[in-house]
Parts: sequence; structure tokens; C-alpha cells
Amino acid sequence: MLAGRWQERAGLGARYVFLVIWLLVSVMPVVVLIMASLKDTALFQSIPQVLSFSGFTLDNYERSFRQGNYLFFLRNSMIISFSALFVVLVTCVPMAYGITKLLSPRSRGTLVFMVLSTRFLPYVVLALPMYLFFARIGLSGTLVGVVLAHLAMQMPFIVWLMLGFFAGIPREVEEAAVIDGCSPFEVFWKVCIPMVLPGLNAAAILAFIISYNEFLFAFFLAGYDAQPLTVGITRFIGGADVGAQYGVIAAYGSLIILPIIVFALIVNRYIVSGLTQGAVKG
Amino acid sequence: MSSRRNFNPWAFILPGAIAGGVVLGVPVVQAFWTSLHRLRLYRLHDQVYVGLDNYSRLLQDPLFHLSIRSTVVFTAGCTVLSVLAGLMVAAIMSTRGIRGTAWARLFMAFYLVPFVATQVVVGMLGRLYVWEPEYGLVNFVLGLIAVDGPAWLISRDTAMLATVITNAWRLTPLAILIFYAALATVPDELIESAEVDGAGGLRTFMAIKLPLIRYHIGFVTLIQLTSAFREFDTVFALTGGGPGRATNVLSLLVYNEGISSANLGMANAIAFTMLIIVGFLSLLYMRLARLDKVGD
Repeated sequence: MLAGRWQERAGLGARYVFLVIWLLVSVMPVVVLIMASLKDTALFQSIPQVLSFSGFTLDNYERSFRQGNYLFFLRNSMIISFSALFVVLVTCVPMAYGITKLLSPRSRGTLVFMVLSTRFLPYVVLALPMYLFFARIGLSGTLVGVVLAHLAMQMPFIVWLMLGFFAGIPREVEEAAVIDGCSPFEVFWKVCIPMVLPGLNAAAILAFIISYNEFLFAFFLAGYDAQPLTVGITRFIGGADVGAQYGVIAAYGSLIILPIIVFALIVNRYIVSGLTQGAVKG
Repeated sequence: MSSRRNFNPWAFILPGAIAGGVVLGVPVVQAFWTSLHRLRLYRLHDQVYVGLDNYSRLLQDPLFHLSIRSTVVFTAGCTVLSVLAGLMVAAIMSTRGIRGTAWARLFMAFYLVPFVATQVVVGMLGRLYVWEPEYGLVNFVLGLIAVDGPAWLISRDTAMLATVITNAWRLTPLAILIFYAALATVPDELIESAEVDGAGGLRTFMAIKLPLIRYHIGFVTLIQLTSAFREFDTVFALTGGGPGRATNVLSLLVYNEGISSANLGMANAIAFTMLIIVGFLSLLYMRLARLDKVGD
């Protein structure tokens, strides 16, 4: 009996060790990047040197702001992410709601299938023709192209995510609202939207993160004035004035990756519910 | 009153459906149309119809064959690795004593870091700090157990492995999350009765939990498969398709052809071929696993 309990304890310990190792696998690369960005040397250092606190400086950050034009690219990133978020929510949320309200199961099934299948579209199939299209109509290099591309990229996922949340609303609630004299739009806006607010938060947060991190479409479609941070950093690394100053590159990378990671940790609850919705019921 | 009851769901669906049709449908049709033409990037007015010429040339192109091979290895590697790692972590997370604790929630929050990390920064970070032969994190850890790590991204043989691991690292959190949530729906009584019968932790997992979450395993496999298949950002920033063309997956080949070589007709033919492959794969998969049921 005693041996059994001891064995159980050891088993639990081993499982925690595994989970801590996985934690290190998940975060160590990012920790190394951040620590490297705080070092004053332009040279490579060994991992223990990088992780030590010697030679601490914020110099690399100052140069990222100044030479790397960080704030300019950040502004573009925010404009793209928020515009895409707005367009995505305005089109996808009512669409998901409408699909759950379709009476015929067949048309509902067909629409769900169409949304699901576009989720697997390779993005280059969209990026290249869009590039061509916007070049032809003279809109190449503007934000419009990037925002529309993000709508295309996000639509299947966001509609699918919201479907799950809307399907969870009990029919009686809406029927009661109709009897109280609500119009269809009022039922949607005043009754259903407040009930799917957690889902809406999850959708908005995930859409924002995906847009912020996106590179391919911005790379193909944004002109210099419209480029977000993801394109900005590749430009910065390619620039001749940086050369082998790895500390500056690390600082620039940290300035991109850290805000979004901190944001994700804060709203972690919504990310979890958003990603598991649709895949796991309840 | 009756007009209020006469609610038409299409009023809500149509704006989104039209927007989706335009931003998703038009580029796909345009890709196919352009793939039937000879079109150079800097001479967009000069479009010559060539039929399926681009496709037949593509099928004979050794670079395309090489790219197909890289894509198969990359996609399969990322899918298998991320699903297995996800299952393992989720299985351990959902054992008694850990599941539902504050520790579990804390771990899960940080396990999401690779998922939200900007891909191009991950690629760049991988190149400079993780896979760097002399100073990188991986070879440092290997050195701790007295293993002399290879020159990962510089050598053709190991570059693909490093690229697969980097992208699988990014894909694994989604697998952990979905499997963890799915495992939480397995009733406790089932496991307890198995344990009374003397089954160990691993046996219970394989015999009871695994079959119960098979739809989720199928679903995650499909998601990982398609997102690895279309990956551009991470590979572009990590290796740029190199060394040589060892990691030049199809997405990068489209970019090479379309932008670097300015051959838009051919690039669209490759892109459209990708669409056919992924469409075929997902249809096959949905037939096999009846995944259309999962999303309901």
C-alpha cells in the first residue's frame, strides 16, 4: 500500500518533469531571442553568455526604433490588423448566424461544407492572382489588397468558429424575443450577439493575432508605404547598414514577437475557447 | 407582425457569401485562367493563350519534381511530428493529479507561445539562434549530453529535418489544445473501471481514450496537413528554400517562378496544381473520416 502510494508520487513527478521540459521547448527559443537583444555585442555568443545578465544594454532597441523605422511599420501593422478585423467581423458573424438559421438541413450542410473546404486553400493560390489583379487595376501596393486578402484568409475559420457558438443558443430564447416584438435584426443584435460574446471575443482575438503575424499576403501585396512589421523586418535584415549586428536584429524581432505573446498570454482563455470550439463540442 | 415572423436568413448570409465569393472565388478562377497563358510579370498586357502548355512543361520540370518531394517530406514530417507531440503532451496533461489544476492552466498558457509567435520572426530566430551550428540552442543542448550536433541549415541532409521541427514546433500547440479538450470529455467512470480491472496508465490511454478521440485525431491531422502543405512564411524566413533547393517547397516554388523569374503563367499553374492536390486530399480525408460530422 505504502509502496503503491510512493510509486504514484514518483509517476506524478515524472509527468511534471516532462511538462516542464515541454514548457522549455515552447518558450526557450523566444527567451534566447529576448536575452540576445539585450546584449551590447554585435557578435554571436554562446547560450550561457546570452542567458547571463552581463553586458546589459537597450542600445539595440534604440537602433531598431531609429534605423529600423519600427513605429512606421507598427502603425501599418495596426492599420492592417484592425481594418481586417473590422471587415472580417462585419461579414462573417452575420453569415454564421444566418447559416444556423437556415431551415433546410441540406442547404445548411452545403454551406457549412463550402466554408469548411475553403479553409484548406493554399494561400499562394490567392496571393499571386490578387497581386496580378491589383497590379492591373492600379491598386497594387495599397492597403486595400492586403485587407481583402486577410478577409479571404480568415473568413472560413471565423465563420466556422462562430457557427459553433450560434448553434449553442437555445431556440426558445429567440422565439421569446420574437413574441416580444423584436425584428429579425433586433433578435440578432440585441439577443444573440450578447449571448455569443465570449465566442465573439475569441474570434476577434484570433483574427487579430493571425493578421498581425501574417507575412505572405503583405509581402506580395503591400507597397513600401503600407508594409507591416513582418515585411519590415525582412527589409531591415536585408539592409546593408545593419550588416552582422545580430543584437539589433534580435531587438527588432523581440519588438514584433513580444507584444503579441504578452497579449496572447493575457487573453489566453479566449484563445483556448476559440481554438477548441468547433473541434470539441461543449 | 407576420412580416416580423417572416425571417429570411439569407439576408444575413448574402453579404458575407458575396464577399467570400469575390475574395476567394475570383482569385482561384483567375489563377486557373492565368495558368493557361504565357504571361510575364513586367509585360502584363502581353498575355498569350497556350492551353495546358504550362502544365505539361511543369510535369517534365525536374525542379517541380524536387519541390514535390520536398513538400511531401515537409508536410508529412510536420503532420506526424505535431500530432504525436500533441497527443503525448495532452495525454500527460489530462492525467489525474494534473488535469484541471492551476499548474495545468499555467502550462497551457505558455504552451501556446509557438502558436502565436510571428512566423517570420520564428524563421529568423531559428536561423540565428536555434539551428546555428556553433552557438545555437539545439547544438548547445546536444552538447550537454555530449553529442556533436550537425551544421543543421547548412547541410542538405539536415536542413529539411530542422525546417520540419521548426514548423512542427509552431503547429503542436493547436494539437495539444484540441486533444486536451477532447480528452476532458472522456467520462471518468470508463477509466476508473478499467483501472479496477488492473489496466495501467498507458494501456487505458491506448485502449480507451485513444479510440474515443479518433475523430479529433483525424480532424487535427487534416488541419496540420493542410497548413503544413501551404506554409510559406516559416520556410521563407528560415532557409529561403535552401541550401541548394533542399527545402524549396511548392509555396516557395510559386514565389520563385512568379516573382523572381517573373513567369506568372507557370507560377499560377503550380499554384493551381497545389489547389488540386489539397482539394483531393481533403475530399479523400472527409470521405474516410466522415469529418463533415465534426463541425456540426
